[in-house]
Amino acid sequence: MEVVRGVVAAGHPVVRSVIDLACREAGVTVVAKVETASAAIDACRSRTPDLLVLDLELPDADGFRVLADLDDAERPKAVLVLSDHAEGDLVLRALRLGARGYVTKAEGLRGLSGTIRRVLAGERVIAPGMEQDAVLALGRFARRAREGAEVAADLTSREQQVLELLSDGHTMRQIATRLGISPRTVETHVAKVYRKLGVRTRVQAVSRAATLGLVEL
Amino acid sequence: MSETSANETKRARASRRLGVVVVDPFPVVRAGLVSSIETSPGLEVLAQASSADEAISVVSGVRRTRVIVLVAMGLAGDKDSYWLIRTLRERFPGHAILGLGANADPHVVSRALFVGADGFVDKNIELGEFLAAIKSAGDEEMVIAGPAAASVGKIAEGIERRRSVGLRLTRREREVLAVAAEGLTAREIAERLGVRERTVTTHLARIYGKLGVGNRLAALRMAARSGLVSIGPAE
Repeated sequence: MEVVRGVVAAGHPVVRSVIDLACREAGVTVVAKVETASAAIDACRSRTPDLLVLDLELPDADGFRVLADLDDAERPKAVLVLSDHAEGDLVLRALRLGARGYVTKAEGLRGLSGTIRRVLAGERVIAPGMEQDAVLALGRFARRAREGAEVAADLTSREQQVLELLSDGHTMRQIATRLGISPRTVETHVAKVYRKLGVRTRVQAVSRAATLGLVEL
Repeated sequence: MSETSANETKRARASRRLGVVVVDPFPVVRAGLVSSIETSPGLEVLAQASSADEAISVVSGVRRTRVIVLVAMGLAGDKDSYWLIRTLRERFPGHAILGLGANADPHVVSRALFVGADGFVDKNIELGEFLAAIKSAGDEEMVIAGPAAASVGKIAEGIERRRSVGLRLTRREREVLAVAAEGLTAREIAERLGVRERTVTTHLARIYGKLGVGNRLAALRMAARSGLVSIGPAE
């Protein structure tokens, strides 16, 4: 029989050994047991495992970092995510980053070896309620993406620059100096940006722009 | 029971039924959809349409605050299903729009959601599930029913790709790119848009810079993948 090689990444030693045991029960050869996100990334790159069982709550970074940093070729085919949390946004993000299964530590540690077998067999393993929450999160995500792209299309390149500088906390005067235009002109740009975003204050503008993905905070 | 209260009861019952508008280019499919939907006591078909223009006209005629518009992805031509979804979204923000596919792949679903659909159902599911999905959309819930439900992550990834390209280009730059997709020279694009050739080349250079590509073909490929411009036959 072909050997299935797995990497276990979990912050807490008890969780790590529970996963380790479940892997062995499922017939997986554990090639690395790691505690941090950076070690998990290294292990996936150097050992190229078939399976990664990943705790999202790692001491140095969240587990998403591991999945995001690995490229498609480096990411194991079968990824099972464990977390203390089950909000739709988290589940959706894990799915986006290529996870095949998502279980909570509260519910999923029992029966983990069965879950690992199913994930290895190519099945998606997510509780129905969590899956529904992920779909709702997808709806919110789609709406924000659409609105963001629409607003972005309406902003001129200059207005976009002004918005970015506003978000970085620059004053009108600083923005004027930075862009080599008069404060008066900056005010005009700012007023237009506010109107296009449908807001009245700078705080609202920055928060709305961040929600729509127009700027990064 | 007095006549007034009987009427009120009747009206209350009528308003409880969720109205559905069915848009599909194929008469037989449409008829099947209509009779299937009518088997559900909670749903009623208010109108049907075979094209995007007809759909807009029948939806405009519906006097309800919230109806479900079921849009089959098979509309072709300039006014394809994506165009219809986008237009309905803009003109009737209160209505629920559901894309309707046949074993649709995640790419189609993400594009439909990105242009404004509230959900996506597939013809390839059991009737009960189909009707339940329509009702959920009536409750303002996002629904994905059918094979695409297994690809929520990929759909989200597709939306992210559209978003990231969409965020970078201004409306004018998108126009330039859409015309460039027809394979015109800079001079022809300039004529079409009524601007100078120099302006077009400036726009194009800026677009390449924003998308991080070196030439027009790469820019078009990226824009097409993100759904900003259409190249070739409708999906």
